[in-house]
Amino acid sequence: MSANIAVTGAASRSRAARRNRRTRTTLEAYLLIAPSLFGFVAFLVAPVVIVFVLSLFSWNLIGSPQFVGLANYRRMFTDSQSWHALLNTAYYVVLNIPMQTVLALLLALALNRKMRGSKLFRVVFVLPWMAMPVALGVIWNWFFDPRSGIIDHVISLLGFTGPNWLTSTTWAMPVIASVNVWQYTGYTMLFLLAGLQAIPQQVYEAASLDGVNAVQRLFRITLPLLRPALFFVLVTNVIGSFQQFDTVFVMTQGGPGQSTTTMNYYIYQQAFQLFHAGYAATLSILLFAVILVVTFVQFRYFRKRTIYDFS
Amino acid sequence: MTPRAKTPRNSGQRGGHVLRRMRASTVYLLLSIGALVSIAPYLMTLNAAFKPQSTLLSTQAWTPAVPATWSNFTALWSQYDMSGFIVHTAVVAGTITLGQLVFTTFAAYAFARLDFPGREPLFWGFIAMMMVPQIVTLIPLFLIMSHLNLIDTYRALILPYVFGTPYGIFLVRQYFQTIPADLEAAARIDGAGTWTILRRIMIPLSKPILATLATITFVNTWNSLLWPLMATSSERDEVVTVGIAALQGQFASELHILLPAAAVALLPLVAIFLLFQRHIVRSIALTGLK
Repeated sequence: MSANIAVTGAASRSRAARRNRRTRTTLEAYLLIAPSLFGFVAFLVAPVVIVFVLSLFSWNLIGSPQFVGLANYRRMFTDSQSWHALLNTAYYVVLNIPMQTVLALLLALALNRKMRGSKLFRVVFVLPWMAMPVALGVIWNWFFDPRSGIIDHVISLLGFTGPNWLTSTTWAMPVIASVNVWQYTGYTMLFLLAGLQAIPQQVYEAASLDGVNAVQRLFRITLPLLRPALFFVLVTNVIGSFQQFDTVFVMTQGGPGQSTTTMNYYIYQQAFQLFHAGYAATLSILLFAVILVVTFVQFRYFRKRTIYDFS
Repeated sequence: MTPRAKTPRNSGQRGGHVLRRMRASTVYLLLSIGALVSIAPYLMTLNAAFKPQSTLLSTQAWTPAVPATWSNFTALWSQYDMSGFIVHTAVVAGTITLGQLVFTTFAAYAFARLDFPGREPLFWGFIAMMMVPQIVTLIPLFLIMSHLNLIDTYRALILPYVFGTPYGIFLVRQYFQTIPADLEAAARIDGAGTWTILRRIMIPLSKPILATLATITFVNTWNSLLWPLMATSSERDEVVTVGIAALQGQFASELHILLPAAAVALLPLVAIFLLFQRHIVRSIALTGLK
């Protein structure tokens, strides 16, 4: 009898202790995430809510916002410059991503073997990643300068004359894209190299027993198995490229004409040069929507294919 | 029979050997070109910064700066408060990096290891916001900061990013999850609390990912232009990116001012990188693995 009571007493006491420990853990957890949660709500969630509210207002950054309903949205759909900026951004992404990804893949394939100096190469290839885009803009302006630039000098040594790169509506955007290709190829390569090194050697051994040649090996084995790494770099690089601002700001200010005005640059202009902050908020929602759709399409395309898992 | 059969295989091997050697040299050639392209802009900029103004335009970028001169740097410093820009940037980038390291470690630990009500919805809420492009938040941030009267202060630059980012929390949480839970359970039995576990187990075992987070944060903050451009307007808190953009606007064709400024902006990160390169190169790849 007394033993029984003692047992139930101990059980309820341990249940209480467990409940106590749970409360303590919860309290501790919320204390630990409190700073991040505060930053998250105040500087990320709140701005995203505010941007939708602001898109219904006209605001010049200083006075108080005036409610205008859907006027900013109507304006967006009829504003040919906003579509121009969107097309420019897409053009920039199209110039940028294939070149950068193919070059990164070539470098990764070249580095994916036991060889002397591979660590040194990796360090050197990552150096451009950390360069300040604003400073790069200054440097590329110098490279592509028709009088003192190295590019036109090399072209003239070959017997040609370069176009006026940055004042040409044809060439300005490719030059902007080349800065980005230079900057991120090595960084992208690191991810692809990590992906290549995760492919088990036995797959290649089995293939060579079956008499698979080098081309087949690349297209039938390496690239399909590299799909997860390729997916990662494509999704993140495309999202990043849609937000090009710095290089344009320093090198061309969106010109000549409107030929290098990207969405981010147009939004900045609308908000901080023309003081149409409400309209700029609306445009940033458009950019957000475009990025969401493009990312969703990439997910759909990549998920359709088989993913191989060796882990 | 046997010797005859042997000969072609031998020659085939020799042929393969030559082919492999050729392929190896092609690979080295390709890599060396890539390496040269990667460092040439750095070297040429540094080189040009030391050329006297008179020869900067008349000589090619690869002609060495002989005799070298500091005069461009003197000219730059007399025109612009470069030291101020660098100090402001270092303060902002340093504070944000330190804050992110601390707060991200805290949050990542709670998400990785503690079982509490609301954990899953909160975590996925963080993840969902990773997709938001920066520009979407900037105009509202300007609104918030001007309401708080913080426009044109350090706080406007620091506050939005010092508490950590969803990406950083995701990164560190994934890494924490690979640390065996037994270690922690044993420490708990010995009476260790969360604070001790963080300090004695999690942080020491997570150095690679924390180094990565620190590097990425510092590099991103050091290089960021758009928000400082919006949020600051006076020499008291302007950062290097804004300063160089202003220089480019003012001295568009005066390379003897612009190139030393670019060199000064680029070199601190290169120096930090070369100090920690072994960790960084290895750990950048970590960020791509889920």
